[in-house]
Amino acid sequence: MITLSNISYSYGDKIVLSHLDTQFEDGGFYAIMGANGCGKTTLLRLVAGLLTPQEGTVMLDSTNVLHYSARQLAQRMAFVRQHPHTDFEFSAFETVLMGRNPYQHRLQNESEADWQIVEQCLRQTNTWHLRFAKPNEMSGGELQRVMIARALAQQTSILLLDEPVSNLDIAHQFEILDLLRRINREQHKTILLVIHDLNMAWQYCDRLLLLHQGGIQYQGSTREGLTPDNIATVFGVNATLTGDNIHLSPRH
Amino acid sequence: MELRGGVSFWSLLRDFNFHFSLFNLFIMSRKSHLPFYILFTLLLLGAMLGCSMLGAVRFEWHEMWHSPIFLNLRLPRIILSVLVGAALSVCGAAYQSIFRNPLTDPYVLGISSGASLGAAIAILLGLEAYLLGIGACALLTGILTIVVIYRIASIGNRMHTTTLLLTGVCITFLISAIISFLMVLHQDKMDSIIFWTMGSFSSATWPDVAIVAPIVLVGIGVVLFYLRDLNLLLAGSETAKSLGVEVERVKKVLLLATTLMVAFCVSTCGVIGFVGLVVPHCIRLVCGPDNRRIVPYAILFGGLFLLLCDTLARTLLPPAELPVGSLTALVGAPLFIYLLYRNKKTY
Repeated sequence: MITLSNISYSYGDKIVLSHLDTQFEDGGFYAIMGANGCGKTTLLRLVAGLLTPQEGTVMLDSTNVLHYSARQLAQRMAFVRQHPHTDFEFSAFETVLMGRNPYQHRLQNESEADWQIVEQCLRQTNTWHLRFAKPNEMSGGELQRVMIARALAQQTSILLLDEPVSNLDIAHQFEILDLLRRINREQHKTILLVIHDLNMAWQYCDRLLLLHQGGIQYQGSTREGLTPDNIATVFGVNATLTGDNIHLSPRH
Repeated sequence: MELRGGVSFWSLLRDFNFHFSLFNLFIMSRKSHLPFYILFTLLLLGAMLGCSMLGAVRFEWHEMWHSPIFLNLRLPRIILSVLVGAALSVCGAAYQSIFRNPLTDPYVLGISSGASLGAAIAILLGLEAYLLGIGACALLTGILTIVVIYRIASIGNRMHTTTLLLTGVCITFLISAIISFLMVLHQDKMDSIIFWTMGSFSSATWPDVAIVAPIVLVGIGVVLFYLRDLNLLLAGSETAKSLGVEVERVKKVLLLATTLMVAFCVSTCGVIGFVGLVVPHCIRLVCGPDNRRIVPYAILFGGLFLLLCDTLARTLLPPAELPVGSLTALVGAPLFIYLLYRNKKTY
């Protein structure tokens, strides 16, 4: 379980999060939503221990995340960044193999088991056929799936994903979210997902954390949280709910 | 040959959908590179022997081992050139991973120049009799340089090649200006200072080898210890951290170890540029971006490269000697421009 208590974070004078309290239960599929610049990514990076909050603590199972070693933390949670990028051309297979790093002794080579886990993760994300491909030979969606495969190879109980579907076409968005839902249901991994698309969150994520102006507008069940009122407050658009769809229109 | 995931070597060759490199064939077949390492080590030893026979004085095999010229002049020179070549190549490979930039090496970043300033100051202070004195001063200014570069490199999320390279170039300019200034003020020591700005092994002695060898061995040992972390650093600091690398600590240790090597190389043989750029790059072309392959090969081929350059430098126009730094620059600078041109699109 991840517990954030009294978290504040600012970049210089710009306060992004102020005195925020929330909890992420084990096995939940959380959507973290909010307008641009409201601190979604910051929140995720605080949870991952990549940033140090100016105030408050992030606890992972009653220990502060900052007190874990990088290696211990990498065995507990995996982080998928928004824009994967590198100038050096590791193939997809090598990239996913890096996910095994937290379990390997420094001078040890990958074991047979590591190879099998990598193969499994590549197959799970439907990227096994890309195993020799270099980053510049893959499309954005393929690269994103490889990055998710690397996170899976870390065999963590928590997955943090920062807008994994923003740059993808609609078919690939569904594919990745289906994959994440499967992982969540079958392997009971906790998933924290920063996502923009309200309909996607509505369809896939059980839990919702809605951020607004440095604080929490809503936390709880997604279905109950995505009300026209909340959407109007956070995003400034009109919303109507019809069955399984949210219709959005600009506010005049 | 059995490959990963039950794929046979031949089915892999047949499947041209995959853009695999030579390296992928290696890694997927999990062949150990040990036979290659042994082969190239033997090649390097053979080249050392061969090169020691060449020169202004040529030796026959049997008389070589009794000649003071060979034992006191040529042998330390050959060993030193191999050590320095290996050290500079390994440093180049390490900097390229730390700064996530294939265009960096100790010379391009200005670290060699930084160290040469320390060496020049040590000479002016009359410390040239003690190699450790020169080395310590070189280390001090070298570390100062790397701190400046690292600070500039840490601004923003990901640094641009241009910023990094321009910083290196400007540091080189600044330091050569200071050194010219020092030379004008102390004209009596001009010759020995000029020596440091143009690399040469002509004054190599056994004491030099005795000091440089342990430092290079320890430095390379440290880099070898962190090879996998170097690979992960290529993915970016944040990603590396979330994959279990103590990024700040690893970077500090590696920068200290490499700067130590560069400082002592510079204090014995002056500034030799582009070795750390040329050697890792050529290796990368053949065996891919994995540092666990690049660094061992960089040790062997870096040594070989500088050995050959130095042999050329002393045999091309006997009895005159070319500065070995100009020979490496002759190879390295065009490659550098080519890389810059090729990378234009990505940066």
